[in-house]
Amino acid sequence: MTERLKFLIFFCILFLTLPVPVCSQVALRMIGPEDLGGAWAEIVRRFHERNPEIGIQYIPGPWSTEQRQDMYIRSFMSGDAFELVYMDVIWTAKFAEKGWLLPLEDWFPSEKREVFLQGDIEAGQYKGRFYRAPVRSDAGVLYYRRDLIPHPPKTWREFEEICRKYSSPPERYGIVFQGMQYEGLVCNYLEYLWGAGGSVLDEEGKVHLKTQENVVALKFMKKIIDENWAPKSVITFQEQHSLEFFEKGKALMMRNWPYAWKALNDSPLRGKIGIAPFIHRRGKEPASTLGGWGLGIARAGKHPKAAGRFVQFVTSPEAQKILHFKTGATPSRKSLFRDEGILKESPYYRELYEILSWARPRPVHPDYAKMSSILQKHVSSVLIGIESPEEAGRDMQRSLEGLLKGKRENWLKRLFLDDDLHQTVKNTALFTLISVPLEFFLGLLMALFIHLPFRGRNLGRLAVLIPWALPTAVMAMTWQWMFNNPFGVINDALIRTGLLSTPADWLSTAGGAMAAALFADIWKTTPFAVIILLSGLQSVPRELQESLSLDGAGPLKRFFHLTLPMLIPFIRVALIFRMIHAAGIFDLIWVLTQGGPADSTRTLSLYLYDLAFRYDEIGYALFLTFLFLAALVLMSFGITRGLTFRYEKVGK
Amino acid sequence: MKKVIIYVLLAVISVYCLFPFLWTILTALKPQEHIFKLPIRYLPERISLENLENVFSKRPFARYILNSLVVSGGATLLTLCAASLIAFRLKKMEIEQSLKIQRGLLIMAIVPPALLVIPVFMVIRKLDLVNHYLGLILPYVALNLPFAVWMLHAAFRQLPKELDEAAMLDGFSSSRILFGIVLPLSRPALAITGVLVFIFCWNEFILALTLMPSQMRYTVPVGVAMLSGASVYEIPWGEINAAVMLTTVPVILLMVFLQRWIMEGLTRGAVKG
Repeated sequence: MTERLKFLIFFCILFLTLPVPVCSQVALRMIGPEDLGGAWAEIVRRFHERNPEIGIQYIPGPWSTEQRQDMYIRSFMSGDAFELVYMDVIWTAKFAEKGWLLPLEDWFPSEKREVFLQGDIEAGQYKGRFYRAPVRSDAGVLYYRRDLIPHPPKTWREFEEICRKYSSPPERYGIVFQGMQYEGLVCNYLEYLWGAGGSVLDEEGKVHLKTQENVVALKFMKKIIDENWAPKSVITFQEQHSLEFFEKGKALMMRNWPYAWKALNDSPLRGKIGIAPFIHRRGKEPASTLGGWGLGIARAGKHPKAAGRFVQFVTSPEAQKILHFKTGATPSRKSLFRDEGILKESPYYRELYEILSWARPRPVHPDYAKMSSILQKHVSSVLIGIESPEEAGRDMQRSLEGLLKGKRENWLKRLFLDDDLHQTVKNTALFTLISVPLEFFLGLLMALFIHLPFRGRNLGRLAVLIPWALPTAVMAMTWQWMFNNPFGVINDALIRTGLLSTPADWLSTAGGAMAAALFADIWKTTPFAVIILLSGLQSVPRELQESLSLDGAGPLKRFFHLTLPMLIPFIRVALIFRMIHAAGIFDLIWVLTQGGPADSTRTLSLYLYDLAFRYDEIGYALFLTFLFLAALVLMSFGITRGLTFRYEKVGK
Repeated sequence: MKKVIIYVLLAVISVYCLFPFLWTILTALKPQEHIFKLPIRYLPERISLENLENVFSKRPFARYILNSLVVSGGATLLTLCAASLIAFRLKKMEIEQSLKIQRGLLIMAIVPPALLVIPVFMVIRKLDLVNHYLGLILPYVALNLPFAVWMLHAAFRQLPKELDEAAMLDGFSSSRILFGIVLPLSRPALAITGVLVFIFCWNEFILALTLMPSQMRYTVPVGVAMLSGASVYEIPWGEINAAVMLTTVPVILLMVFLQRWIMEGLTRGAVKG
């Protein structure tokens, strides 16, 4: 190797690895959803015109708010925080508790806050300080077809009557809502719970879910699906799905946020839509879940003044109007509900103002994310029918109490209180116990086959290698697409070959999702077993094979008496590797199912990741990681022991 | 008859292994409106590149590719440098001893990245390297080093010992033996190891997701996975499949061209252990 070449390589490495310098100009970043309608582009442009020294970068993130929250949390933890924090109401308590946010009193002294809706301001406070300036307000409302039903239902009873009388599934269902296992499900569920007179926490902050009200609420939600008032697929719906379903005229009513009005008004349904408070149990109060988004400033950001200016601009009437007209966002300023331009476009704003005034916030608690994931899981379990409402009520109570109590206990005691841990360990064990043996046997068969001498076996080797070489996370997207219902190829192929009579909901049922994950994993990792076993087969001396066969031993006998014993060390390696990696599976499941539905595919490493990077409990996560590793080591010893034959021991 | 069975089996295995990849390509080349058409047409009626164009025009996908190239390339180079030094040193040791060291290395390599990500993240944050290429390259080198040492050691050991000894007698320094004799003679092994390490880094997900959380630093797998998120009706399945295709085709090409050597290298390395 010449000196020059060495030099070149050295410089390449240097260049490739040098940290890229950050721009010195004031640049602020924020993450939001896809900028539909270009509202944020417009806001950013107008702001930049007036403040040319400040550049705002709007990063379009995933649609799912939970994923965007994870992005923010990871950025805070990494020390390279996104300067502008575009927050859902429910993030405020946690972000503030962790000290990630700057209080905003300098820009929004209390007298200036009065122009905003009361609920939004309260939701932006934590322990007496103000952290989140409301950009858009939100509350769950009931949309109904004015042309199809005479008046909107007020109570559950009226709702049932209307569904019985006017719905005709599968052409037209009674209602669509958000039934997927995610935050939106909790928003929906709380409206039933509150509407039945219940609540999550009582006045003293104690969990209050083992109650008749809760059972009644869950039963009613279940009934809506069982009676076919809502389509079965509602358990895979988020806001956008419900909207599209409703827009196609396939439902009489829809629970959604006010933003949907604009889309409906631009659709053929224009003029046929009414808006009403959400239904409640007779004799109780209607309630709707407070939503909405606001801006905060990251404490770690280097330019709080510039950020403050932008926050003030985004909460101004000018920017809120842009958001309203381009995306249908509900303003958070009271005066805009009397604005003529807005009222002309959205005459229902008078009613909406009313609904917003009795909207209730979700429990304000730094651990809300975890509380919500427990609620999501059990509500989802009820909807898909793996838990009865009574069981769910009991489990919610126990899990939430365990959560609030477990946080105070030491880690060892917490192990026994941690329901998520128990569930994820169970899933991991199930996944490993099924996938590893299957992969192994399939791998053995394939290795034996490829080892046969025949023309074209190189093609076989190549084919077998390919799944192993492809990126797991990326191929998980392909599997998600192939398991899609109704556009996925797997259902199609199964139906065409007559193996299935109706399309299966692979990724939205508990069993289906697990089966899909197993299938994809077996596809992806069988080649690994093949590679190891193939090298074992190559180590079997040909002469021995031949002499055995001269002695009259058939292929089966040769396999069991010569090949298999010689393969044992390789089998051991393959099994240990595969067991450890199957138990630690992350990529595939994170992309394919995100652990859902109802946590049925959530494995231990997903839980550990969430603990560390969503709930910010690194200590506890590391403690569990350590236990997990110890268990894996023990099991590896077990495999080694179990697969060592007597003669091997003698030999040593 | 036996032949027929063999080729039927071969066909079954090939279809099973290749189908997901083929399906992705077929979907990626269909025009948007045909992707969501029922009943499903298996072959595209007309080939359309609109999805591929959208991948680049709607997202900074070129940037993701650049990030992936920088990280995987840097990690591969560093891994090869470090691994050849280690393997060269191991070659001088007694076989028993060097095998012991290699086993130790391999045991560490077994731990799945999902269990390493939390401590690694803490270290990288302490070093203030989050969102920097180096912050991802260093863990990748650490993760792939055992494998690379293993492969290179197997190759180095094939070289006759007399070669070193002769060079030593001629007064060559150790570094000259390594760079002037051993490495040039092991070029094929270096290439295979390099390609495999590169593929491992190219494919890695959880560390890339965690250590480079800023969108402008996404590697390709993270970028592709983050294309989800939106709701079912909005999920741009055409673009996703196009992105998957762009990510996997280079890997497949490498495998096709190098399959014989890769398979040999892998199985030989394993046999030696």
